[in-house]
Amino acid sequence: MTRTKPKVAFFDFACCEGCQLQVANMGELLLDVLGLIEVVEFREVMSEKGPEKIDVAVVEGSITDKHAIERIKKIRDRAKVLIAYGSCATIGGVNGMKNNFKLDDIRKEVYGDRFNYFDTVETKAVHQVVKVDYFVNGCPVYIPEFVKVLKAALQGIPYEVPDHAVCVECKLNENVCMYDRGVACMGPVTRAGCNSWCINNGNICYGCRGMVSNPNENGAMDIIKKYNIPMDMVINKMNMYNKCREIDKREQKKR
Amino acid sequence: MLYNLSQYVVLKKEDFNGFISDLVKEQKVVAPVAKGCGQFSFEEVKSGSEISIDYIPTILPPKKYFMPRDENIATYDLSNGEDMEPVVEYEKMLLFGVHTCDLAGIQCLNMVFSERPRDLNYLIRKNQITIIGYECNFYCDRFASCRLVHNHSPNGGYDLFFTDVGDRFMIHVNTNTGEELVAKSNLLRKAGEKDFEDLQRVREAKNREFAKNEIPIEHEKIPELFDRAYNSKVWEDLDKRCVACGNCTNVCPSCYCFNMIDEPNLDLKTGRRYRQWDSCQNESFAKVAGGESFRKERGARQRHRYYRKFKYPIAKFSRFFCTGCGRCSRTCMACINLKETLNSLIKEQGMENPEAGKV
Amino acid sequence: MKKLLLKDSKYEIKKSKIIKVTTLTDLEKFFEIELPGGDSLDHDPGQFVEVSILGVGEAPISVSSSPTKLGSFEMVVRKVGRFTSALHQLKEGDEIGIRGPFGKGFPVRILEGNDLVFVAAGLGIVPLRSLINFVIDNRRDFGKVSILLGCRTPQNMLFGDEVAEWTKRLDVNFSCTVDRADPDWKGNVGMITSLIPGVTLEPERTFAVIVGPPVMYKFVIAELLKKQIPERQILVSLERNMKCGLGKCGHCQINGLYCCQDGPVFSYDKIKGVPEAL
Repeated sequence: MTRTKPKVAFFDFACCEGCQLQVANMGELLLDVLGLIEVVEFREVMSEKGPEKIDVAVVEGSITDKHAIERIKKIRDRAKVLIAYGSCATIGGVNGMKNNFKLDDIRKEVYGDRFNYFDTVETKAVHQVVKVDYFVNGCPVYIPEFVKVLKAALQGIPYEVPDHAVCVECKLNENVCMYDRGVACMGPVTRAGCNSWCINNGNICYGCRGMVSNPNENGAMDIIKKYNIPMDMVINKMNMYNKCREIDKREQKKR
Repeated sequence: MLYNLSQYVVLKKEDFNGFISDLVKEQKVVAPVAKGCGQFSFEEVKSGSEISIDYIPTILPPKKYFMPRDENIATYDLSNGEDMEPVVEYEKMLLFGVHTCDLAGIQCLNMVFSERPRDLNYLIRKNQITIIGYECNFYCDRFASCRLVHNHSPNGGYDLFFTDVGDRFMIHVNTNTGEELVAKSNLLRKAGEKDFEDLQRVREAKNREFAKNEIPIEHEKIPELFDRAYNSKVWEDLDKRCVACGNCTNVCPSCYCFNMIDEPNLDLKTGRRYRQWDSCQNESFAKVAGGESFRKERGARQRHRYYRKFKYPIAKFSRFFCTGCGRCSRTCMACINLKETLNSLIKEQGMENPEAGKV
Repeated sequence: MKKLLLKDSKYEIKKSKIIKVTTLTDLEKFFEIELPGGDSLDHDPGQFVEVSILGVGEAPISVSSSPTKLGSFEMVVRKVGRFTSALHQLKEGDEIGIRGPFGKGFPVRILEGNDLVFVAAGLGIVPLRSLINFVIDNRRDFGKVSILLGCRTPQNMLFGDEVAEWTKRLDVNFSCTVDRADPDWKGNVGMITSLIPGVTLEPERTFAVIVGPPVMYKFVIAELLKKQIPERQILVSLERNMKCGLGKCGHCQINGLYCCQDGPVFSYDKIKGVPEAL
C-alpha cells in the first residue's frame, strides 16, 4: 500500500442520495474509513471539487439522460477504480420502473406540454454504460458490505457479491420465514450480502440487491403457487427494483 | 430396559423455574424459546419462564454453539510479513432441553471433528458445553423420522437427561459433570420405585407412539437402498424443484461444511481468518479455480446431501448422519420432503416393507 | 467469549519466502519458495500445499518440484481468479504462508522397479513434474520411462528447457503433441490420446500416471486399458477445491471420498465405481 492515502470521490446520479446518507451516518466506523482514504469530492458533506485524477470513484444513482451518460463517462476516465453503490447504480433500482412506459409519455407526465425541452433516455444501471469494478448492492447500501468492498478495492482484489439467496442469511439469523407469516418476500431469488437486514427488522425482502445469477425459475414458480401468491404481484414486486435486468438480458442476447 | 436406581434423580415441576434460576446464577444457559408461528430457537435465557419446554426442533440446531456460523481460527498482522496466530474462541455454557435427535447431531459432529487430523477448535469448544437433554414423549410433527434412524430415544451424548413423567421430571445422571450439577442443587431428590414405574409407563406409551419406522423400510436396508438409487429418477424430480437456497444444509444438525475467509481490518494490516458455514447446495461449492463445477445440477447437489446422510457416513463412522429431526423438510420452501424422497426411492426400488421396525 | 492462542492448530502457516518468480506464459508464473530456516517441505511427489496470502485467503497449489530438490520447493500457478491474481502480483522476496504438504501423493515405493508411462496434458505437467524429476533423479530404481506430453499450442508448453532435456535423454522415451501447431512446429498435432497407441509396453509391469484437465481422463484411460494395463496400475491425480486440506470442509468431496485426504492421487480401480470422480 502506498503511503499517500488513495483519493476517493463520491458522485450521484438519479437517486435519492440515501446511500450517501448511509455513508455519512456511518458513525465511529467513518473515522476509521477516513484514516484510510482521502475524500476529495462528496457533494452531500463538502463543497470542494476533486482533482482531475482520482483513485476511486464511488457512484450512486442510475443513468437516465444524455447529460448523465456524458458525465459518467468522464468520471470513468478520471478514476482508476469505479465502485457502483446502491440499487440505482448497480441494478437500475426503482428508476428502472420508467422503462415500463414509453419515454414520451413519461416526459409528458412529468414536464407537461413543454416536455420537448427535457431529454430523457431509458434508465440504465452504471455498468450498462461504463465499466464497473465493484458493486455494492442494496437500497440503501448495507454499511458492513460497503466497508468490505472498500477494503477489497484498496487491496486491489475483486469482491464477489454472494450468489446465493437472501434466505441463506435469513435462516442463519433464525427469522421466522415471511412465507410462514403469509407474506410474499423476494428473499428466495435475491442475492445475499445484506445479512437479511430487512427481515431481521420485521420487513420483507424487496429484491433490492438484484437476482441470483442462476435462479431456478420453475422451482420459484412452484413456491409461489404453493403459497397462493398472485403471479402479477410477484412480477410487480420483482420489477420494482429489477426492471433494468432486461437490458442485461438484451445485451447478452446480442453477444 | 435396565435402570440403575442410583443414576436417577427427580425434579418436581413446580421447582423447574427454581432449578433453571440456580443454573443461570452459575453460567450462561441456552434453551429453546418460542419465536412465534410455531417456531423456536435456542437462545440465552435468564429464567425458566422464558423456556418453551414443549417445542418442536428449533430453526437452527444446537450446532450453532459447537461450530459457530462465523468462527475465528486465526488473527494476523502484516507489519512484519505474513504473521498469523491461530486462535480458538470458546464460551462456557449449559445447553438445556436438547432433544434426542439433536443429541445425535452433536454426536455426529463429535465424530467428524475428532477424526484425524483432529479439529482442536471444535474439541476445545465442545468441552466447555454442558448438555441437558430432554425426552420427546410424542412426535413433534409429521416431518420427523427419528424412529427410522433410531434417534427417538436417548443414546447418550448428555450430562443430564430429563423425562416428563407427569407432575415431575425423571432425570438421568450420565456424567460427572451431571453429578456435580445434581450435587449443587437442593431441589432434586433421589428417585424411588414409584418414579421408575412412572418412567416405565411413559416409555411404554412412547413405544406405542413410535411403534414403527416412519418410512416403510428396515433401518439396516437403507444403505442398500442408496447403493441402488444413485441414478434414480427421484433426483431429476428434485432437480426441477430445488431452488438451491441452502436452507436444508444450514438447518441440518449434522451438516458441517465450511468455507475459509480472510477479513482485513480497516488498517488493512491486521485482520482475521474465519470459517463460515457453507452449503453443498450453493452454485459455487464444488467449483475449482478454473471455473469448472463438479456438481453443476441442483439434483446432483440434492443427491449429494442425501448420500452424506444415508450412505457415505456409514462407511466412515458406522452411523447415519440423518438424525430424523425433520428440519430440512420443515424449512424447504420448495416442499422437498425427506420422508417423501425416501418413500419414492423405496417404491422405485421395490423395497417397501410396511411393517418395518415394528415393536 | 474467551480467546486463546492455539498451539498445534492445523491452520498454522509457515511464514515462507518467494525466492524466485518467472513468467512462463501469459497466464502461468513459476514460484520458488523457501520455508523458514531452509527446511525441507518433505513432500511426496503429487502432494499439494495450502498457500496463504493473509488478507486475501488461501488456496491449494500442487507442488511441482521433486522432493530430491532440497532447500526450496516450486510451484506453477495459472492466473484464474481472485487468489491467483493476487499471487501473481507478488515478487521475489515477498512472503507467503504455507500449510502442508497434504494428501496422498504418487506411491513411489510401489512404482520402483516398474516401467512408467507418464501422460500429461495442459497444466497436468505441473504436478506430474514432481514425479518425473524424482524418477529421473533416481533413474536406476525404475524400468522403462515414457513421457507423453500434450498442450494447446507450442507457446503453451511449460518447462521448455526441461522438456528439451527429457527429449535428449536416452533413458527416457519422449513424445509430444499440440492441439494447434504453428509453422515452426515439427512434432505431432492432435489429441494426447493419439500418442498412446504408438507406445510399446509390457502391460503387467507398467504403471501409467495421468494428470490433465478433467475432460481428458476418460479418453486416456480407455486407450491405456486397450493396452492391457491393469486398472490398479493406472494412476490419476484429480483436481478439486481443497479448501481446508484436512478432510473436513467438504468442498473437495468426490462421492464418499475426500480428495484432499484420500487423494489427490487415486488408482483407477479405486475410483472407477465412483461416479463423481471422472
